[in-house]
Amino acid sequence: MKRWFPAALALLAVGLALYPLQATGYGVRVMLQLFMWIALAQSWNLISGLTGYVSFGHVVFFGTGAYASSILIVALGWAWPLACLGGGVVAAGLALLIGWPCLRLKGPYFAIATLGLNEVMRVVVSYYEGLTGGGNGLSLPTLHASVEIYYAMGLVAAAVTAVTYVIVTSRFGLRLMTIREDEVAAEAMGIDTLRYKLYAFLLSAAAPGIVGGLSARDQGYIEPLSVFPLIMTITMIVMALFGGKGTIWGPVLGAALLFAFQEVVWARFIYLHQLLFGAIIVGVVLLMPRGILGVLQQKYNLPRTI
Amino acid sequence: MGVLITPSMIGQVVISGLLAGSLYAMVALGLGLIFGVMRVLNVAHGPLLMMGAYTTFWLFQWIGFNPYLSLLVSMPLLFLVGVGLQRFLVRRVVDAPELSSLLLTFGVSIALVNLAQLAFTSDLRAVEYLTGSFVVGPFALSKPRLATCGFAIAITLGAFVFLRSTRLGKAIRAVSQSREVAQVCGIDVQRIHLLTFGLGAALAAAGGSLVAVMVAIQPEMGQVYTFKSFLVIVLGGAGNYPGALLGGLLLGLVEQLASLFLTTQVNEAVAYVLLVLVLLIRPTGLLKGRV
Amino acid sequence: MAPILEIRSVVKRFGGVAAVSGVSLALEPGRIYGLIGPNGSGKTTLFNCITGVDQADEGEILFKGRRIDRLKPHQIFHLGIGRTFQVIRVFPELTALENLLVVTTTGYDEARRRAQELLELVKLERLAGEFAGNLSYGQQKLVEFIRVLMTDPEMILLDEPAAGVNRTLLNELLDTVRRLRDQGKTVLLVEHDMKVVMGLCETVFVLDHGEKLAEGAPGVIQADERVIEAYFGR
Repeated sequence: MKRWFPAALALLAVGLALYPLQATGYGVRVMLQLFMWIALAQSWNLISGLTGYVSFGHVVFFGTGAYASSILIVALGWAWPLACLGGGVVAAGLALLIGWPCLRLKGPYFAIATLGLNEVMRVVVSYYEGLTGGGNGLSLPTLHASVEIYYAMGLVAAAVTAVTYVIVTSRFGLRLMTIREDEVAAEAMGIDTLRYKLYAFLLSAAAPGIVGGLSARDQGYIEPLSVFPLIMTITMIVMALFGGKGTIWGPVLGAALLFAFQEVVWARFIYLHQLLFGAIIVGVVLLMPRGILGVLQQKYNLPRTI
Repeated sequence: MGVLITPSMIGQVVISGLLAGSLYAMVALGLGLIFGVMRVLNVAHGPLLMMGAYTTFWLFQWIGFNPYLSLLVSMPLLFLVGVGLQRFLVRRVVDAPELSSLLLTFGVSIALVNLAQLAFTSDLRAVEYLTGSFVVGPFALSKPRLATCGFAIAITLGAFVFLRSTRLGKAIRAVSQSREVAQVCGIDVQRIHLLTFGLGAALAAAGGSLVAVMVAIQPEMGQVYTFKSFLVIVLGGAGNYPGALLGGLLLGLVEQLASLFLTTQVNEAVAYVLLVLVLLIRPTGLLKGRV
Repeated sequence: MAPILEIRSVVKRFGGVAAVSGVSLALEPGRIYGLIGPNGSGKTTLFNCITGVDQADEGEILFKGRRIDRLKPHQIFHLGIGRTFQVIRVFPELTALENLLVVTTTGYDEARRRAQELLELVKLERLAGEFAGNLSYGQQKLVEFIRVLMTDPEMILLDEPAAGVNRTLLNELLDTVRRLRDQGKTVLLVEHDMKVVMGLCETVFVLDHGEKLAEGAPGVIQADERVIEAYFGR
């Protein structure tokens, strides 16, 4: 690792920490969202980038965390930081419930199972109307805490990136990667692939659960359509793919680049925007399957810790 | 609950289930062929169905073209689209790790849905052609469902005759069992891949044209069919084409049965729960398939 | 001496075809066994059944007296059976060293030491940091071979170890196999190269169309008419 990198990182961290002091409310919210996307893309990378098991329904953990933490706030009066952590725990619990049967199988089966999961959660939310407000949504008590949530989101984004770093440089991470490389051989070499896949899946669900809660707290209101949209899964996937799945900083890079792109294009041309995302996915898979960082890694023989 | 279940209700459920199931079976056969021959899970299967539905709609809207005759247009049209997708995109990832083809078809499905949004807007469309039901004894047979079932059965049977008896059909089955052996026997595997994807797309389009008469048409209508087609494949066993028939009928029956006891909202969850159950208990499918 | 591996009337079907139909074998510890037979005779399927990659439809497989036919591959591995594959299955995007490190359950330092040892054994220590996918065929074969030895398994299954390997390398491999046998390990190999089988194995099993055709010392097998017929037809 180059000497200047940790120093530059520290500088960036300080800069981001001081940012809210002179930024506008709008500026803080934009950065807050960027942190959220970093956390989401990074989480998708943990399961799909490292183990190769593509999750097409990852937004379900975001939505579940949003609802779980909002219910904790509204029904049990919890403070939002604790409630959001609770959201993360519930999301991880859902991952365990779904992963246990579905991760036993080969990739395509798992992928399709996750595709349907989103729909099911929307139905569940509508069904338990008493608790969740059903289609009418759930309102949270008014709170002006954008700056605090900014820091919270930033912390989560940093934490997920740090966790990714620790995993990729450990034997645990290597074993996850063997699942991606050759699952049959991994099993034959004594790796309990189901257990490892479950760990990765749980880890990949926690952060989306937490940021789902944070996002809900920030918006002050949630409803099924707003927290379980397919476009969120698509965006997470594009960001991680574009930046470089399976790398540590790839999802961060992808999130930053595509978030900027999104801010410009989204508001005016929603469908064109989504169409472009679809095209980018196709393009990346065909032309640079390892993403930007992956390509750089190969070309300049960079270490895996990039 | 206090709902009295009469035999005629059961009968109605069975009939409705079989009617609906025949459509599921046909569409799922398309997905199953692509999966069996190329080991590619076509996530864009639903959007292809949607395109078939829109074809039927616009033909009906512009020139009053009979929706059922439009099958003769939508199927060949989407066959070509399928061949094109295979030739220019999917072909490059057939031998890559499975996640590549998953992501690719996922990207294609997003692109197709949003192209439809841009071209047709998300306004709900409908083809008002056939409504009402025949009443036979205690049973009501919805006319569009009957027609759909009839066509679906005919098309599916046609597909099976093709697979069993024609040279190309046998070649498809051969590649499906073992690509290497098929190649050694002189089969042009590339051509078979093109043909199969086209066929799969055509079957999806047929599904779209048939449901266009029954449901609201909008760009996202196909998503649920991707999932259900996959469920049918899992039920029947991957690579087991006759299994897709049984799987489709079974899904139709289970859904109708569930609608007796559960609210319509929860119906969506039924298919999902069924999938998870089958994956847990018999991942190779109810009949023998290759995982 | 009690057999270390027992296969009792194992049947494995794929679709309507029985790849293995009623095969029974018994292996004594500390010997080198060969498994031969024409293509499609069920050799690799039998390997897969032993290691849990496929599940036998009928019959039992016992390792050191304990049934293993219903266990998952990773569990069988930890009981002491290691295997290589017919088509090389190293992890291409992991380095040679990492390929070895993922296998062990001991502490990181000990694992590193053992990995170094094994790499030196096959003279690949300078390639430890190379991605396994970039190595030559022969080098990958060696990595796969020593990967199996990382946890010091009692029994080793080798699936066509001689395929695509040059003479010098092959002789080194065979010497290593003999040394493993001398250490008390049991080796079972599937092989097409008759010279290797005859020169290395103490007992040879012959499979044909999923059934055991013959069993015995190499010289006896070579002269067996049924074996000759199975390979060359009437």
